Amino acid sequence: MDRQPATVFVVDDDVSVREGLDSLLRSVGYAVSVFASVREFALARRPDTPSCLVLDVRMPGPSGMDFQAELATLNDPIPIVFLTGHGDVPMAVRAIKLGAVEFLLKPFREQDLLDAVRVAIGKDEARRKDEAALAELKERFATLTVREKEVLTFVAQGRLNKQIAADLGLSEVTVKVHRGQVMRKMGASTLAELVRLADLVAGQERAIR
Amino acid sequence: MRRDRERMRIERPWLWLGLIAAMAAIFLADTFTSLEIAVAVLYVAVILISVRFDRPAVVVSFGAGSAVLTVLSYLLTPRGIQETGLANGALSLIAIGATTYLALRIGEAEARIRQTQAELAHMARVTTMGELAASIAHEVSQPLAGIAASGHAALRWLAATPPDTGEAKRALQRVVADADRAGEVIGRVRNLVAKAPPSRDRLDMVALIEEVLALTRGELRRHRVMLQTDLADDLPQPLGDKVQLQQVVLNLVINAAEAMGGLETGPRDLLVGAASDGGAITVSVRDTGVSLAPAAIEQVFEAFHSTKPGGMGMGLAISRSIVEAHGGTVYAAVNHPRGMVFGFTLPVAGTTLDRQHG
Repeated sequence: MDRQPATVFVVDDDVSVREGLDSLLRSVGYAVSVFASVREFALARRPDTPSCLVLDVRMPGPSGMDFQAELATLNDPIPIVFLTGHGDVPMAVRAIKLGAVEFLLKPFREQDLLDAVRVAIGKDEARRKDEAALAELKERFATLTVREKEVLTFVAQGRLNKQIAADLGLSEVTVKVHRGQVMRKMGASTLAELVRLADLVAGQERAIR
Repeated sequence: MRRDRERMRIERPWLWLGLIAAMAAIFLADTFTSLEIAVAVLYVAVILISVRFDRPAVVVSFGAGSAVLTVLSYLLTPRGIQETGLANGALSLIAIGATTYLALRIGEAEARIRQTQAELAHMARVTTMGELAASIAHEVSQPLAGIAASGHAALRWLAATPPDTGEAKRALQRVVADADRAGEVIGRVRNLVAKAPPSRDRLDMVALIEEVLALTRGELRRHRVMLQTDLADDLPQPLGDKVQLQQVVLNLVINAAEAMGGLETGPRDLLVGAASDGGAITVSVRDTGVSLAPAAIEQVFEAFHSTKPGGMGMGLAISRSIVEAHGGTVYAAVNHPRGMVFGFTLPVAGTTLDRQHG
């Protein structure tokens, strides 16, 4: 393995559970960091590897559920697996609605926990891959000239070369050249792909705004 | 010196000495005054006081002793009219007999009250334990979760190639520690619901309080309460019944947690303290819940008075009767900036008495 192992963060105020999970998760090859409270976790530096959070619901101070809401407002996408000693159905529903991967009752089955952690890590990996792809796309987009960006916008709107040429006061041949440059720089092999990539970039820009 | 005192094992030596001295004084007065004066009637006071030994046989002995001494001083008294002396003596004997009978009945009634009180306290404890069931289940499920995780981890460390015996050993050590912990929780529950007659032992108050707090940890967590303790480590050891006093602490802690459980905002801090000022130990439970009005504070220790929805109003009343049976007092006051302080003081007269003698 040349990559760093995925990291599982465990937050539980009970030392038995914390240490047990630490050993169990390390035994299957994860890197593990344990915390006694959500505050400790919030202050911790996180490595840049796929990771997930195994979170106890009831703790003195802010509860796991509160912390989930807090992470959501911070746009922190770390996937969460909840553990609880006395959970109820509404609580579980709320947690899952807010995007939790799993809601496990203590004492839980080892396999259920490991499965949940695997799913959560997978989710984080997929998100990281998407983000990386998007970042690359944005880099490519940034290499376009102002004119090429204009052409791309019109192409994405479905306008024909002739129309674009009229709109921009260019010759149709020039538009074709720009369009070829745009396809090459954005790494798109078909028109359909180019339109999709343009949408992705535009969507991202909108989300940031 | 100390060992000698323990070997004698006479309960309440000063009471014995005082009563015997009183009987001797009455006997002498009865013998050396003339027969017309019925000094012997004063024996009834001795018999009534002997009820405090809580032992029917002792009361009977004092009654019989008084009767014998009355007859003896009638025979020994040199002066006075014989008939009057006889009548007085007979009256004294009747008074002594009647008082002995009444004293026995008082003793019986008191014993019955104590038994009823103990049963009520036991019932309240079982009820509280029922309320705590979720908390206790949680207290057991935590170490069980730990055991499951560590156990599986140990299997995996051993199944790895090469097996990591160091990690496996550490995991198994945690399994053992967690199993002990789960066992302790169950032991504590069993002790608290056991139906044992009240006892009087020297009590380690810090250990007593910590055991209760260990049982309520889940309940505190459920109400999202932050627990802090301030337990002095040099507390004197009062005499008392451990289980009963644990029940008092349990009641106060649960009340405080419930008082804060309904809060919409603000901190939920619980401070359990124990301190001594030489003559007494004070145990206090501070919460940051709702403060009670002064009028409500006065009533809070009365039976069937509850400020909680669904409360029976017995917890604090039983706590008060337990503390008062230990010679202590309960108190309630407003905490600053908000919340309440409930607590009790226990005398440590036993230890000061020992110091005086030794």
